Amino acid sequence: MTESENRKKILEMLADKKISVDDAYRLLSAIDSAESGQASAPKTETAGKAKPKYLRVTILPDPEHEHSENVDRVNVRVPMSLIRAGIKLTSLIPPEARDKVNGALREKGIDFDVRNLKPEELEEIIGALSDLEVDVVSAKGEKVKVFVE
Amino acid sequence: MNRPPTWMHVEIRGKHRGFGLWLPLFLLLPLALVVLIILSPLILIAVLVLLPSGRGIWALRVLRAAFSVFCSLRGLRVDIQGRHQSVYISVV
Repeated sequence: MTESENRKKILEMLADKKISVDDAYRLLSAIDSAESGQASAPKTETAGKAKPKYLRVTILPDPEHEHSENVDRVNVRVPMSLIRAGIKLTSLIPPEARDKVNGALREKGIDFDVRNLKPEELEEIIGALSDLEVDVVSAKGEKVKVFVE
Repeated sequence: MNRPPTWMHVEIRGKHRGFGLWLPLFLLLPLALVVLIILSPLILIAVLVLLPSGRGIWALRVLRAAFSVFCSLRGLRVDIQGRHQSVYISVV
């Protein structure tokens, strides 16, 4: 039974004097709170998931050699706004250059058309990145991490 | 669009020597504005000439997108520490 049907039923019961005004008020309030609870549920879910601000790439040495001087460390923080602007830039690539880019990607085994990157789908892509976490440990013990924060 | 970045910190350190630079990016904006004003008649002519081929609007869009990329640089941080050299770039 839908909320509007429930409301009607309560009002009918009130009209038939099967329930008091107080009872009707209480029941209607209960329906209202149930409705607002349902409506706010997805909102709180999205609110809990904060928008990612940065894409981080870190390469840390093996913990055994962490304090050694002869190790490489990389710590890169790229703002999401820069990624957004970069993706938007792809739509401005001239058609000839775009074909060359697609060809070069295909040569590397990546079958991807840069034309498919549409600005209107940007937010979805960025949103999906919030779940991204790549954690790789190399044979040398170096830890490569790619994540968003 | 984000606020344009104001400073860029570049630091390059070797084993024995190195240097650090604070580049005032905010000074670039008035400079760029002056250049844009001076070049605006030429830009306008170029846009009008390129308009029939559809490249005129495209050129303006590229300019806008380039500025947008520049503004998005705020918060970028690159810190690479190698065996012999370290590079640190930060845009604030």
